[in-house]
Amino acid sequence: MDVTIQGSSQKFVFPAWINYLLPLVLILGAGGAVYVPSLVGYALNPTTLNVGYAPVQPVPFSHALHAGRLGMDCRYCHTTVESAGFAAIPPTQTCMNCHSTIHNDKVTLAPVRDSHATGKPMEWKKIHDLGDYSYFNHSAHINKGVGCVTCHGRVDTMDVVRQAKNLSMSWCIECHRNPEQHLRPRDQITNMTWDAQVDAGQPQLALGLDLKKKYGVHDAAYMTSCSRCHR
Amino acid sequence: MDKHAQEWLIPTPSRLKKQLRLRSMPWQMVSGIVLLVCLATVPLALVSRARSKTSTKPRVHLFQDMDNQPKYKTQSPSPIFADGRSMRPPVAGTVARGHLEGDDHYDRGFTMSKEGDAWSVSYFKGFPEQVVVDDALLQRGQERFLIYCSPCHGADGLGNGMVHVRATELKQASNGWTQPTDITTLGDREAGHLYNTIRNGIRTMPGYAAQIPTADRWAIVAYVRALQLSQNATLDDVPADKRDKIQ
Ligand code: HEC
Ligand code: HEC
Ligand code: HEC
Ligand code: HEC
Ligand code: HEC
Ligand code: HEC
Repeated sequence: MDVTIQGSSQKFVFPAWINYLLPLVLILGAGGAVYVPSLVGYALNPTTLNVGYAPVQPVPFSHALHAGRLGMDCRYCHTTVESAGFAAIPPTQTCMNCHSTIHNDKVTLAPVRDSHATGKPMEWKKIHDLGDYSYFNHSAHINKGVGCVTCHGRVDTMDVVRQAKNLSMSWCIECHRNPEQHLRPRDQITNMTWDAQVDAGQPQLALGLDLKKKYGVHDAAYMTSCSRCHR
Repeated sequence: MDKHAQEWLIPTPSRLKKQLRLRSMPWQMVSGIVLLVCLATVPLALVSRARSKTSTKPRVHLFQDMDNQPKYKTQSPSPIFADGRSMRPPVAGTVARGHLEGDDHYDRGFTMSKEGDAWSVSYFKGFPEQVVVDDALLQRGQERFLIYCSPCHGADGLGNGMVHVRATELKQASNGWTQPTDITTLGDREAGHLYNTIRNGIRTMPGYAAQIPTADRWAIVAYVRALQLSQNATLDDVPADKRDKIQ
């Protein structure tokens, strides 16, 4: 063995691969300096973290069935969406409007019947959940012509609701700077398939600018001021 | 360019190795690098898989940043109360400010009177004075009718809404499902009676007081009247100058 032992006169000879070590360390270091931050950025991106959350609910309630096939309007259940900040999750009584008779013998609906009998509320898991330090208001959007589908996606095709948009601050701000890209007539708010060109015969931008004036939507300076959403 | 210069100008790895008299990288080192590069794609693949799939777990709050503050927002649960609600229902026998509903005509649609020992109910025929029947009210009524009534009664009010169609297919009559009434045949019902039907329901139809505020209930009554007129119109209702168009 050619290992240097103290006191011995033998010299330590570097193996040949040492020549490669420095360039290799430099290259790997540079690669790592690009790789690690991009990986962390990608993994902690709000889109990665937030989109696609679809919890298991106590009752397998399907929007694809009720809002899609049966064609019920969102406001039948989410009654406060036009008048309040919070879009109310319907009380048990709303389900019982129909399910006191329809499917009143199905196990899937047993938790609804129990809740109705005992007065204990259904415990639906909240899906969309902004940080508690931010303020959101549905009525402010609905009454100025921003449709449900813009922020929640095609709920009427979802058997289980999943979060469609990342709800990050940059997502909010992007629209607050250019709301005309997303405005629609107020009477089409809950229409999931509305399209400016097809249904209004106008390009979105032209229609959006018209509606922006008609509904008195504020300018970008007002809409992006921090105190709008952090109050 | 002579051949010699060409050799030096284009440094292919093998020529470089020869000319600089480099030794080959040991195979352990080469396979180590290859392995590292291969492994580096694994976290990327995992993250992009997580991005493309739905998850039943809530988002990870790596930094809490006051995301979840110890306060109650609308409809959030509370462990303090037995029923788990942080929004407390009003105490029995109390009325919130502005919710007195003290106007018989506007809020109830009927009055009760006592003759001897028997109570009798009389429904108001017309609209209360707070309600102005105009185009805007009818438009509002149509919108609300389509939201709250059309699933059962159908957009035309004939009683064949999607829910009835589906309930019939599923033979839910055996569970007590009744066909919704054809409301265009109810021209003789007082406005107050229709209002009370929306507010409190009737027979197997549930009440909609919790879903529809008072002003909208009257808008729906106005629209139901319009539906009844449209379904039961005679030629005499059409302006004289337009009659020949539809005859
Ligand atoms: C029959 C009643 C009903 C109708 C109609 C309905 N919803 Fe819902 N919605 C619910 C219930 C109950 C929940 C809670 C359970 C769940 O998440 O599936 C819910 C949850 C949601 C959520 C997720 C809320 C959260 O926790 O973040 C969104 C978004 C939503 N609905 C949008 C819509 C839209 C858009 C429409 C119209 C296309 C609609 N809903 C129609 C009953 C309804
Ligand atoms: C306007 C009437 C109506 C309302 C309100 C309504 N449903 Fe339904 N629901 C139906 C009909 C009709 C069906 C059957 C549809 C089918 O099978 O095609 C159904 C089916 C279901 C089913 C599937 C049952 C099974 O096992 O096949 C569930 C679960 C359900 N509803 C839950 C709910 C919940 C929870 C609510 C309250 C948020 C609700 N529904 C409100 C009409 C309604
Ligand atoms: C501008 C975007 C936007 C539009 C338009 C929008 N929502 Fe939402 N919605 C949100 C956000 C953001 C949340 C989460 C709010 C929170 O956590 O405070 C949310 C939450 C909800 C919830 C859960 C309860 C709540 O309020 O937190 C329901 C139900 C819902 N939306 C239904 C609807 C319906 C129905 C419509 C259309 C009538 C609609 N939303 C239109 C952005 C939007
Ligand atoms: C698709 C477009 C769009 C998106 C996305 C959007 N907004 Fe808005 N927002 C609007 C429009 C349009 C208004 C109406 C402004 C007005 O009244 O002039 C508005 C108004 C508001 C208001 C009321 C402002 C005031 O004080 O008058 C708040 C608060 C708000 N938005 C918060 C949010 C938050 C938080 C998000 C992200 C979770 C968000 N918005 C996402 C379009 C959008
Ligand atoms: C249109 C609404 C809106 C406006 C305007 C807005 N924010 Fe935000 N901001 C949000 C929302 C929504 C979140 C929370 C996102 C989440 O839940 O992850 C947020 C988050 C934040 C956070 C916390 C980030 C974190 O991850 O901890 C900070 C800090 C912040 N905003 C600062 C500001 C400042 C400074 C301004 C003014 C220049 C501003 N915001 C304007 C909507 C807004
Ligand atoms: C869940 C399904 C359902 C919905 C939604 C519904 N109804 Fe009904 N309605 C019924 C049924 C079922 C009947 C027949 C009741 C019976 O004969 O037992 C009925 C009966 C009626 C009647 C006849 C009452 C009489 O005097 O005989 C009127 C009027 C009426 N509904 C109006 C409305 C209006 C207005 C709405 C919207 C606010 C509405 N309904 C929503 C199911 C519904």
